[in-house]
Parts: sequence; structure tokens; C-alpha cells
Amino acid sequence: MKAEKLKGHLDLLLLSVLARGPGHGYEVITRLRDSSEGAFELPEGTVYPALHRLDEAGLLASTWAVVNGRRRRVYQVTTAGQEALAQQADQWRTFSGSMSRVIGGAAGLVARPAAALAGDPA
Amino acid sequence: MSGRGEVDVSPGSGPDDPIEEYLDRLLVTLNGSPRQVRHTMAEVEAHLRDAVAEEIASGRPEAQAEAAAVQRIGPVHEVTGVTPAFARPTAALGRRVALAGGLVGGIGLVTVGISGLIAWLLVAVKGDRFLAAPWGPGSYTAADCARWMAADPGHGCIAAMLNDHVGDILSRGAAAGVLGVLVLAGYLVLRRRWRDRGTMTALPAGSAEALGAFLALLATLGAAATAVDLESAQRGAGAGQPFSLAAAAFLATVFFTLRLLRAARRAPS
Repeated sequence: MKAEKLKGHLDLLLLSVLARGPGHGYEVITRLRDSSEGAFELPEGTVYPALHRLDEAGLLASTWAVVNGRRRRVYQVTTAGQEALAQQADQWRTFSGSMSRVIGGAAGLVARPAAALAGDPA
Repeated sequence: MSGRGEVDVSPGSGPDDPIEEYLDRLLVTLNGSPRQVRHTMAEVEAHLRDAVAEEIASGRPEAQAEAAAVQRIGPVHEVTGVTPAFARPTAALGRRVALAGGLVGGIGLVTVGISGLIAWLLVAVKGDRFLAAPWGPGSYTAADCARWMAADPGHGCIAAMLNDHVGDILSRGAAAGVLGVLVLAGYLVLRRRWRDRGTMTALPAGSAEALGAFLALLATLGAAATAVDLESAQRGAGAGQPFSLAAAAFLATVFFTLRLLRAARRAPS
């Protein structure tokens, strides 16, 4: 999926990934890639401004820790972040459901002429 | 925490190390307080080293792994969150040029002010004619003479003209000096505010000092040549003005040269 399409939903994705447990930036990217089965490929650096923004907004809290011999900033979702995640997830489900219904109906209409061209003599 | 990245990847130091090169570019592009910059640098370096370790673990040679890690993290502006058109190098360059202009311009104006001070001392010692040479008889109109004599009653046309010209030279010098001090005060305020690394490295170290030293040396030589010429051609009449400017410009040359040498000593070899 194109990175530009993902950027609009990055906050929701990051909150979702970190809701499973605290993690540093590289871990967030790894979880995002793994849980999307490789569909979400975006420049990895993109997550940092978003993580910092969420941190400043109080939706994430960060601490420094040494992990695997390297000093890393570990993020976790705050209570405010959990509330924001629930709210954004609801909005996304509503949006996604509506999109699916619209696209689903249109996809049927688009498929019919193609089938007609393929073999319908009428 | 992630189980990836078990391979130990130590920081490289070669001139072509893509990780180091990326971190250098990031350092001069990042916005924010020194602490924010340090934190982001630490985060991104850890990220890149993890990515290199993962690439090596998947069978890539180290050089390819480093290149792949840099490609994966994306352009520097993805990390900074600032689009390239508005990225710091552009703004930083503007700020650095403004600082250089403030320093060179401020010192230039102060130099004119100091030359006015030297001129004032010269007038006290050698008289008005050393600073402003009168032209030959008949060079001035009756209207000019009347204007000068009205402002300086009790003196003839030439003496009144000399007083007027000397006054102009000294007041211009004083005004330039005051303006120069204000410009330098502004420069110091802005330099304190813009001391981030991006701004400080937007131009090579010592650029402003080199420009200032060059311009001051040019002014010194030009003014000194004019003073020598007037000294020989007009027996010193009017030589005081270029002489005072040459002396002040020489001081500015010394000032800029000392700063340039200090900047050169501080710059990494």
C-alpha cells in the first residue's frame, strides 16, 4: 500500500500497535509490517515525527531504556491514548463499513459489462 | 521487545559509511532544542543499527545491509517531518547569511564610526584642512558661501566651508558608529537565538570572518592609497579622512583575521 495513503491513518496504526505493549521505534515498524503481513510498507523514518507528536499530545508516554545493548526510547500508550484509540478505531470502522458498502455495490456494476464482453451474445 | 537484530553491528567510521553519512545529514537538518535533537539522533541511530543487523542476519553483506537500512528508513525529511522545500537547510542558510551580514555590516558601520573618532582627533591636532581640503579660488558659488557663513558667523567662506564639511564627516561617522552598535546588538541577540547546529553549519566556519577580513583589507588598502596620494599631491590637505578610514579599517582587518584564525583552529581537521 502506498505510503501516502497510510500517512493519514498513521496515528491510529501507531496507537494500535503500541496498545499491544510498549515498544521502541524499530519495534513499532516491525510490528506494523508483521501484523499487516507486509502490506504496510512505508519509509520507516515516517514513524518518528508521528511518535513524537503523539508523545507531545500526551497520547503516548516515552522512557529511555537500554534494550539489546542500545539506548532506546520506549513508547507506551497512555490512558488518554487508549481513549483516543477507541474513538479513532470506531470512526475508522464506521468509515470503512460505509466505504465497503459503496465500493461493493459499484464493483458489481463494473464486473457486469466485462462479463458481457467476454461471452454474452445479447 | 523485538527479537530481531541479534547480530552485533558496531558504528562505522569510514568516510563512505552510509549510516554515518545519513546521521550527519539528519543532524544538520533536525529542528528543535538540543535535547530533542540528541534524542532523535539516538533513536534513529539505534533504528538504523537494528535494521543493519536484521539485513545482515538475512544474509546480506555489511555494506549492502547499511545501504538497505538507509533506504528503508527513507529520506531525512521523513524523519524530521518537514517537507524538503521548508526543511532547515533553506531556513538555516537564510539565518546564517543574516548573521554573517549582521556581523560584517555591524563591524563595517562601527569601523566608519571609529574612523570618525580618529578624524576628530586628527582635526584637534592638525586642524580642519587635514580632513577636508578646500578647492581652488572661485570654486564655490556665492550662494554656497552665504549658506556656510550664515551657519558659521565670523568666518570667511573657506573656513566656514571647512567647518561645515568637517562637521558633516564627524556627524556621519557618529551616526554610522551608533547604527553599527545597534546592528551588532541585534546580531548578538539573533546569534544567541539561532545557535542550533543547522544554522551554524549552513555556511563553512569562518565564512563571515573571511568576507569581513577581505572587505576590511580592501578598504584599508584603498583608503591608505588615497591618503598617500593626497599627502603627496595636496601636501596632506584632505588626507585625514582616508587616513582615518584606513586606520579604522586596519583595526577591522585585524579583528576579522583573529576571528578567522580562531574559527580555523576550532574547525575539525
